[in-house]
Amino acid sequence: MTPWRFAWVLLVMAAVAAWQATVIPESAIQMTVGASAVPIAVVSLLLALGLLYAVSAWRGKQADEGLEEGQTPLAGSTKRLLTLLGGGLAFMIGLPWLGFVIPATACGMCVASSFDAPFSLKSLLICGAIALVFWVLFSQILGVGLGPASPFGV
Amino acid sequence: MDAFNALMGGFANALQPATLMWGFIGCLVGTMVGVLPGIGPALTIALLLPLTYHVPATSMFVMFAGIYYGAAYGGSTTSILIKTPGEASSMMTAIEGNQMARAGRAGPALATAAIGSFVAGTVGTIALTFVAPMVVNAALAFGPAEYFSLMILSLIAVSAVLGNSVLRGLIALALGALFGLVGMDLQTGQPRFTFGQSQLFDGIEVTVAAVGLFAIGEALFLAWQGRESKGSEVMKVSGSLMLSKKDWSRSWKPWLRGTFFGFPIGAMPAGGAELPTLLSYYTEKKLSKHPEEFGKGAIEGVAGPEAANNAAAAGVLMPLLTLGIPTSATAAIMLSAFEGYGIQTGPGLFSAQSSLVWTLIASLYVGNVICWCSICRWWACGSSCSKFRRLGCMRASS
Repeated sequence: MTPWRFAWVLLVMAAVAAWQATVIPESAIQMTVGASAVPIAVVSLLLALGLLYAVSAWRGKQADEGLEEGQTPLAGSTKRLLTLLGGGLAFMIGLPWLGFVIPATACGMCVASSFDAPFSLKSLLICGAIALVFWVLFSQILGVGLGPASPFGV
Repeated sequence: MDAFNALMGGFANALQPATLMWGFIGCLVGTMVGVLPGIGPALTIALLLPLTYHVPATSMFVMFAGIYYGAAYGGSTTSILIKTPGEASSMMTAIEGNQMARAGRAGPALATAAIGSFVAGTVGTIALTFVAPMVVNAALAFGPAEYFSLMILSLIAVSAVLGNSVLRGLIALALGALFGLVGMDLQTGQPRFTFGQSQLFDGIEVTVAAVGLFAIGEALFLAWQGRESKGSEVMKVSGSLMLSKKDWSRSWKPWLRGTFFGFPIGAMPAGGAELPTLLSYYTEKKLSKHPEEFGKGAIEGVAGPEAANNAAAAGVLMPLLTLGIPTSATAAIMLSAFEGYGIQTGPGLFSAQSSLVWTLIASLYVGNVICWCSICRWWACGSSCSKFRRLGCMRASS
């Protein structure tokens, strides 16, 4: 992300935060420093810093980290990123419907795939075993609420 | 003398085979979770809370103490080897230690972290045993003005050490403060920055933020970059695990300074382990004869913060045990464990649960030794294990 784009993101965030700071409800408790005092101070600081950064970026004084050494990816970077993120998304979406083990296995395989491990039976078995051990350890032995292991409620 | 006699009684309990076993399990689990990025002692103790239904209170708290100390030891390993701190307080170690590892000095970095942790843990536990009343009084004397001063001090320290750009450091600081405000206001109960979503009422957990920033962020970067770009050379857990004379001379003062930052600030409400770690790093940077090495692998930048981190772990236990005030997430979860056993924390704890408290303190000494021995043993094994080297150096050769 270029400094100029980052400055815009920062300013948009500060604007959204400023809007949220204005909708903090008034407390019935009489206090010298209310619930919105610190948020307003922090948002003001963020806004001021965002503006300073934007001016600095506009003048070309902020270095683009993306141009530094070691910041150039190999081909297929988008695919790898999407696979990793997709795995996390699949876990979150699948958990309520499929139980713990299947989504966790899918997530593990996606993560492994984003680090160049192929989608294979070996990957399936390893990720499945890890997911199952985690579920047994935390859910059955330690009593942590991970939900059922499978969609059949087991 | 009373404290000494009570401590001896605590040792008599802590060295019972069953209690010792729980302490050993705690140290082992703690070291493992410290090594694993994103899983800290708070999360681990929270996950193990169901065990309170099955295990006696003394054994349970000895294990929790072992987890707490073990995590403080283990956190430095991933920070140094793969630049992924297990906890926020290992952030500075990740910066300097990883640079040392990249420069072929992973061994001395790990060694100074372990020895510093041991020294600080021991001194901190001695202070917890004998100096507790004085430090508690000092912590109690803190009022709003002192808190404000402490916050300003931490903000200045943070903005001074964050990279080369003060502006970007301050922006990160403001963003952190903004995210910290999300949730219900503790004083008035008003929701802030929640967008009307009840899921945000409890705010953003520190653990979640740390995992997102450090572990997932690093995973995303590595996946984006691709494996081949890191080169084929796998960097070893290089350098001797024994410190050279020069390393000793550059480390011992930071260990002591880190200890003296860590313990009192860890004992203060809102002190925690992050602030002394940052202060220690900042101080070492200012006092070092080689300030140009900071950010490129200065051993003082590992020794001081690691000592501060471990001393703070002992310091955090003091207000918990003497006043019933948790000053960190881990202490808060331990407090809930006390409540789970029906034990009332506060000034009366030392008299009402004398055996439990002194066994816990004695187990800290024992746990400190176990953790130090086990982590050194592990590294010694790891230095001759190619798979460990590969794990430790995934990014190092990029």
